[in-house]
Order: sequence, then structure tokens, then C-alpha cells
Amino acid sequence: MALTGIRVVEIAGLAPAPMAGMILSDFGANVIRIDRTKQTETVDRLARGKRSIAVDLKSKEGANVVKRLSSNSDVLIEPYRPGVMERLGLGPDILMKDNPALVYARLSGFGQSGPYKGVAGHDINYLATSGVLSTLGKYKENPIAPINLVADFAGGGTLCSLGVLMALFNRTKTGKGQIVDVSMTEGAAYVASWLWRSQNLQLCWPTKIRGRNLLDTGAPFYNTYETQDGKYMAVGAIEPQFYALLLKGLGLTEENMPGPQIDIRKWPEMQKLFSDVFAKKTQAEWIELFGDSDACVSPILTLEGAATDVHNEARGSFMRNENGSYEPRPAPLLSETPGITEVKSDPNIGEHTEEVLQEFGYSKDEIDHLIKNDIVEKL
Amino acid sequence: MILSGVKVIEFAGLAPGPFAGMVLADYGADVIVIERTQSAMPRPPSLARGKRSIMLNLKDKEGIKVANRLCENADVLIEPFRPGVMEKFGLGPDELLKNNPKLIYARMTGFGQSGSYSKMAGHDINYLGMTGLLSKLGREGGKPTAPLNLMADFAGGGLMCAMGVILALLERTKSGRGQVIDASMVDGASYIGSWIYQTKDAPYLWPIGDELGKNLLDTGSPFYDTYQTKDNKFMAVGAIEPQFYQQLINGLGLTDEDVPGQVDLDKWPETKKIFADVFRSKTQSEWCKVFDGVDACVTPVLTLEGAAQHSHNQTRKTFLTNEDGDAEPRPAPLLLRTPGVNYVKPNPVTGQHTEVVLKEVGYSQSEIDELIKNEVVKSETVKSML
Repeated sequence: MALTGIRVVEIAGLAPAPMAGMILSDFGANVIRIDRTKQTETVDRLARGKRSIAVDLKSKEGANVVKRLSSNSDVLIEPYRPGVMERLGLGPDILMKDNPALVYARLSGFGQSGPYKGVAGHDINYLATSGVLSTLGKYKENPIAPINLVADFAGGGTLCSLGVLMALFNRTKTGKGQIVDVSMTEGAAYVASWLWRSQNLQLCWPTKIRGRNLLDTGAPFYNTYETQDGKYMAVGAIEPQFYALLLKGLGLTEENMPGPQIDIRKWPEMQKLFSDVFAKKTQAEWIELFGDSDACVSPILTLEGAATDVHNEARGSFMRNENGSYEPRPAPLLSETPGITEVKSDPNIGEHTEEVLQEFGYSKDEIDHLIKNDIVEKL
Repeated sequence: MILSGVKVIEFAGLAPGPFAGMVLADYGADVIVIERTQSAMPRPPSLARGKRSIMLNLKDKEGIKVANRLCENADVLIEPFRPGVMEKFGLGPDELLKNNPKLIYARMTGFGQSGSYSKMAGHDINYLGMTGLLSKLGREGGKPTAPLNLMADFAGGGLMCAMGVILALLERTKSGRGQVIDASMVDGASYIGSWIYQTKDAPYLWPIGDELGKNLLDTGSPFYDTYQTKDNKFMAVGAIEPQFYQQLINGLGLTDEDVPGQVDLDKWPETKKIFADVFRSKTQSEWCKVFDGVDACVTPVLTLEGAAQHSHNQTRKTFLTNEDGDAEPRPAPLLLRTPGVNYVKPNPVTGQHTEVVLKEVGYSQSEIDELIKNEVVKSETVKSML
């Protein structure tokens, strides 16, 4: 696989760092998650294929275990507030002196510097600080963060993986690792770069008001509509030729419409008209009616519905896990060296403690000593 | 820079392909955009910083020959067309990889290269609708609300495509070979949202999972949402953990007696109303004074311009200033030894680099003149715009 042979030490965290670890694992890396001792449950829901070793990081001997692991690894991912790793004696200065080829990824909300560094926060705060949150939401409603997708996962975990991969690529030329400072605030902003770069495009941003523009629920032809059976359809008919097909499918003509497609003053009225029409048929009827036409009208599927949709099934977009539920297959698809195609199981905390230590050259005596003194824990 | 020496041929598209190209350009790749000479829709130059632009007539056999030659020595190709279009041009992966086995051929689409929807038109909102994620986004009593085109076009699209390219480049250092990347925005957005699928049955996250806007992180809870301030701005509250929630209450000047318990789900609407009333009593900057530096997870909702001016972001140089004096985000993440660009390179004029690029791949001036004369290529130098 693309990352076969790459060893990753992931210091256990909430969601962003586990996402980064999961992506690397999905593409073949050997990911070892360092869990705290004295806990039985992990919060990591992105743990497939990882191995778990439980270490008491607060003890000097525990820190030494992590040092030894990282001195023989390619990547380390840490999710703590700036300074915590340093306090544990595991800062980049120390670990990279030992292993100059180490890619040391630091994944935080506000980054390793700046006045907010180290302040507690969550996705919604990083998204707010990035400026992006101010653009999301409907007219006259408060800004709405899309759960924790944009800062935690897009600008956080995924961008962290991108940074790690770039650093690994650079290392093939230079032999040297480096620090990757991933700030979820910056990541969210960068992923949304287009928002800044497109501000003077009249078509996209006719007003400066949230929820009154082309793509932010302002336009009736770029919106969602409820169907007769309480489900929803997504409409994305921006281009005139697609808009014409939308009208056709809805049984409307240009004459029916209160105004031409881009008359923004008539948008609220047009939205009401579309709403009324969509409410007259069920989701299944609309799917049938629009078929595979180029109207850009498609169903809004539930999480379960997406997994079993005929298109997604054909692509194997979702994998089934041991519990019978579905999870997305790694993206993108690489033709020669794809990611995993089936779900490896989550590790239990400490399930691989002994195995991992052995792999890193610890003798049985050393391992027994560590276990006996609660430096590490095994399942 | 990380991608110095990496040559990317990007076939011009709307947003996802260009964003992937921009990420690569930002980290040092030489990205050449092939614009079509008879394009119906002129490309808005929104994601073209640092790229070079050449105009080709892809409907002309000679134009295809030029494209072939450009791809012969390229490392990466990004194309945004519906499945089959590149094949129709004679530029499909089978042919190009035969000539150049180390080529990384990235195909950026909404629905992917296969499956029943693969030939259908669509946009971000359609792709996001197919992932299941859109069904979870929106306020109570409302309809699913797509977060602009961030999740499918950019996060699950361009970003994922760029990541696939880097993965393939890395893999190529071992194998010496390229490959095809099938970057589907439906797949990409789903993958980024993996955690949502994994946690959808967790009762603390999704107590009323089949209803919009009634859960922990989807605006259902009073301590994970935005609130309007006295001056019609907003504050973002993300105080999930009890210790942060306590700081939130303190900062709002409330006591435990004033509000229902944090996890009293039935009283969440009531608590929300209480918070909303308090937040409306002060301006955004007054709230910032109360909460800055406090571990309450309460932060201002900054506008696009405000974010660029905020002291934290300024210290981090999160934003670069372009030639027009406007701010745009600096490439993330920060690789300390080999970072991305730290200034905004200009957008190319369409066709600005046609001649220089053709010369780079070995065309003589007379060959180039011939191609221009026959409208196989078009050249727009900055001079000719004056």
C-alpha cells in the first residue's frame, strides 16, 4: 500500500488527531496509538486498524517508552495544547534531536503560537475565528456550524494528514523530518480560500448578507426542499441549461416564474413556488421523475440511506464493519495502491502493549518491569 | 519547496480541480492550466494564484497533440470532466500513462468514474446530499442546509484530490510508477465525515438523532451554538466539557440556580433562551473582554475581513495580502522547514504563458506561430491586453 512501512505514533486525542491517524492507517501505515493508563474506554471512534499501547505519560519511564517508540518511527501526531509535550519531556527539540527524520505533527485549534494558543476551544470556536462561520447559515438566523466537519475534520485531521504526507515526500529527497504545525483555524480558512478569493464575483455574492447569495440558501435553484413524505431533495441547478431542466421536471415554464433565474429580488418568491411543487410528490417520485437528467436534482439521503444507495453501492463507497453498520471507504481511490477495502477492527486500550514493545526491541524483562511498575498497561 | 520540480497539468474547471491545483502550486509545484479556446463560460480566476495559463483548442487534432506533449513530461494531471470526456479527446489515462508511466492522473468529479450517477450533472449540494451528511445539517424546524460549497467542492473534493496526489507522489518514490486517482466528491466528503457515521448512535452526541438541530453538536444544545450580541454580531459557544461550561455560566454572570442543568436535554430550549437574552445585553467586543483567555470556549464569530485583522490571526500570519490589498488565507498546514508560499502570487491572465510553456516542451518559434495562426492555441500576453 502507499504507506506500507511507515510507522506512526499517535498520541490519543479526541477527534482531529484520530482522523489523521486513521487516514494514514487506511493507506497502509502502521499506526500505534498511545493511550493513557488507568482508563478502560477510548473516545477514539476513528480507530480502525490502529494498535493500542497504554503508557503512563506522566512518569519519566513512560516518557522514555514514547521516546524509544518515536526514535524508531517516521511520524508522531500529538493533539495537546502547545507546551504540554514539552512538559512531558517529549517536545520536538528532544524527539527530533534523537530522530532527525521524524515528522512531528502538532494538531491544535489555534496553532502553536499567537494570543489564543492554548486557550480551550472546539470546532465552532476555530471556525468562528477563521471567519468562515460568519458565512454559514440562513438569512435572519444565527450562523450555524456544520456539526464539527470543517475545522475538526477538514481543516484539522485531513489537513494534518496532507501535511504529514508532504513532509514524508520532502523527506525522500532530504532525509530530514520537520514540524508540521496544524491549526484548525487556519486549516478551515485555507480549505475555504475561495470565499475570500471570490468576494468580488457578483454572481456568487450579490449581497453582503448571509443567506441571500448564490450558494448560501439565497438562491432558489441552489437549495433543499421538503418532499411530501417528509424527506428532502437537493437542487443545484446553477447553469441556465440545468435550470431549464429543473423547471421542466417541476412542470413549470419560464412564464410561470415570477422572474428570470438571476433576478435576486424574486428569489424568495421563487423559493416558495419551488417549495410548494416539491411538497406535492414523495422523494421516490422525484427521484424517478428526474432520473439521470442534468437538472442537478438529487435526493438527500440519510447516513444509512447513503450506504445502501445504488450508486454508492456500485462504487463500494461504504464498507461494512463487524457490527453490521457502515463507514465510508477511504478516499480518494488510487488505482494501483488503494486504501483499505474492508474495515479492520478497533483496538482495545492496551491490546498491543506487549507486541509493540517487543517490536521496538524491548526484552521480556524490560516489558515485565514496565508492566509491574504501572509504567505501561496491557489489556 | 516541497513540490519544487513537480510539474502539474491542470485542465481548467470550476472549483474543486482548481483548488487541488492551487494547493499544489502553493507548496511549490509548477502548475500549468490548460484553458480551452472556445470555452462557453469564461473561467473566474478565483483559485489560480501562482499558476501559468495556456489556451488550447482541444477540439482540434493539433491541439490534442500539444496537450499530449505537455503531459509526456508531466508528473501530475488533474482533469475535472465527466467520465469519458478525456477519452474522447484521446487524452484518457490508458493512453497518457502508456506514454508516461510515471504520470499521476487525477480525475476530479462529483459522483466518481463509475456508478449510476457518474454521467449526471451536479454540484456540491447534490454530492453532499448523496453522502448522508447533508441530512444532519440544519436548525430545528428547518430543512437541511448545505454549508456553502465547502464540504464537497473543497474539503471532500479539491483537498482530497490534492491529498491523493501527494500520496501517489510519495508512493512513486518507491515504485517509480504513477497511477489513476478517482477523486469523487461524494466519497471524499463522506470520508471526511467518517466520525459522524461512526458516532451516529452515540446517545450523548445524537439523543434525538433522526431530527435536525436537536442534538449535541448540531445546534440542539445551548452550549454549542452561536448567539447574537447587542450590536448584531455573534459569539460562538463550544463549552462542551463541564469545566468549560462552568466558565461559560460564570462569564455570563449566571449561577447554577439561574439555569437548568447542562445535560437536562428537555430544558435545552429554555437554557438557550436564557443564554440568548444574556448575550444580547452586551456587544461583541464587550463579550470578548469577558471571555478572551478564559477557558470557556467562547469566541467571536469573525467576518472574512475581521478574521484577517484579528490579533491572533495576525500574529500567526494566517492571512496573506494580495495585490489588491485584500486578505486571503495562507496555505495550511505550516511545515516549518519547507512551508508553502508566504505571499500571494498573481493570477495568470488566460493564455498568458502559452508561448513560454510551449517553448519549454521543445516547440520552436515557427511551430508556435503556426499553432497560433491555425487557432490551435491562443496566446494572451499581458502586453496585448493594454
